[in-house]
Amino acid sequence: MKTRTYFLAAAAACLLLFAASASAHKVSVFAYADSGKIYTESYFQNGDPVANGGLKVYDSNDNLVAEGVTDNQGLFAFEIPRADDFRIVIDAGMGHKSSFILKKSRVKAAIKSGGQP
Amino acid sequence: MRKRFSTLAALAAAIVIFAAVPGQAHFGAIIPSDDIVTQQLKGDLALEIKFLHPMEMEYMEMEKPETFGVMHKGKKTDLTERLKPAGGKSPGQEKTDTFWKAVYPIRRPGDYTFYTEPKAYWEPAENLFIKHYTKVCVNAYALEQGWDQPVGLETEIVPLTRPYGLWTGNVFTGRVLVNGQPAAHAEVEVEYLNESAGDSGYIEPPFSPYVTQVVRADAGGVFTYAMPKAGWWGFSALSEADWTRQHEGKEKNVEIGAVYWVRTRDMK
Repeated sequence: MKTRTYFLAAAAACLLLFAASASAHKVSVFAYADSGKIYTESYFQNGDPVANGGLKVYDSNDNLVAEGVTDNQGLFAFEIPRADDFRIVIDAGMGHKSSFILKKSRVKAAIKSGGQP
Repeated sequence: MRKRFSTLAALAAAIVIFAAVPGQAHFGAIIPSDDIVTQQLKGDLALEIKFLHPMEMEYMEMEKPETFGVMHKGKKTDLTERLKPAGGKSPGQEKTDTFWKAVYPIRRPGDYTFYTEPKAYWEPAENLFIKHYTKVCVNAYALEQGWDQPVGLETEIVPLTRPYGLWTGNVFTGRVLVNGQPAAHAEVEVEYLNESAGDSGYIEPPFSPYVTQVVRADAGGVFTYAMPKAGWWGFSALSEADWTRQHEGKEKNVEIGAVYWVRTRDMK
């Protein structure tokens, strides 16, 4: 029982430490379109990847068109839904949220280059 | 006859002394349209590559650089073919001198260190060639990775202060390398790019020591300078090359400079 309390305390301390170090780093998401797909990269300011971050993609009417979870390199890719302006939002938890607008012109070019409809 | 000779000698001596005290430092320069690239940037990043006296805004004729390139995520890309000639002169200059322009599309996050190796410039007043290896770092999309890496030039300043996103009053600390080794006690000249003064106008140096600030690096080649005004600041660490170059049949020394540019913004 006592061991378990110690363990919990240690875990809580770790979590606090982690939260403190992560909060010094701003989260960003970047996206580009290439060959029919949209590729996203989510990272902390110092370059550490945002792993297991929730990523949501909205079209120009604010409809959710794609969502997923970043891998341990902070990457997530999805098929281009159609030519539109997309707002890509990463939520890394603990108030770390950031977004990126991928312009329709860039999306269009990638549809052409990828031979996708 | 004798008197005339001494007058002539005095005159010649005066000219020599005058020429030997230029009172202004030569600086290679790479000035990008900004040190930060975000989604708000319209169009592509534009860069100007110059050889000038930054504080006095006097241009010197610049031949097309031997190399102009960029390093991103450890990978170097040659951009020499992107250079386009342009003309520039200070308000007091009659002749227009050549500088170079380039446009570079930044498409990925991270730090982009632009660098140039110019052709050696013959400076008769100092009886030597000048060659300023120049760098500047541009951050893209808030991924701060790469700025502290050397490019691998004959001489270069490697920043110890992150070289972008700096406030007015911040210090800039860098390490001077020559052939990859710290340059102990290197002399570093610092000048403000007067044309970056913006709305506040041209800064008039009250006395000649105000034109160029001078700091000497420590035994590890590390120097620090605090920047008192918003705009672009150039740091130039000078060394003598271990090679010479011919001018009119005679071997001449070559001054190699490691130059780095940073931008400061006012806190407001």
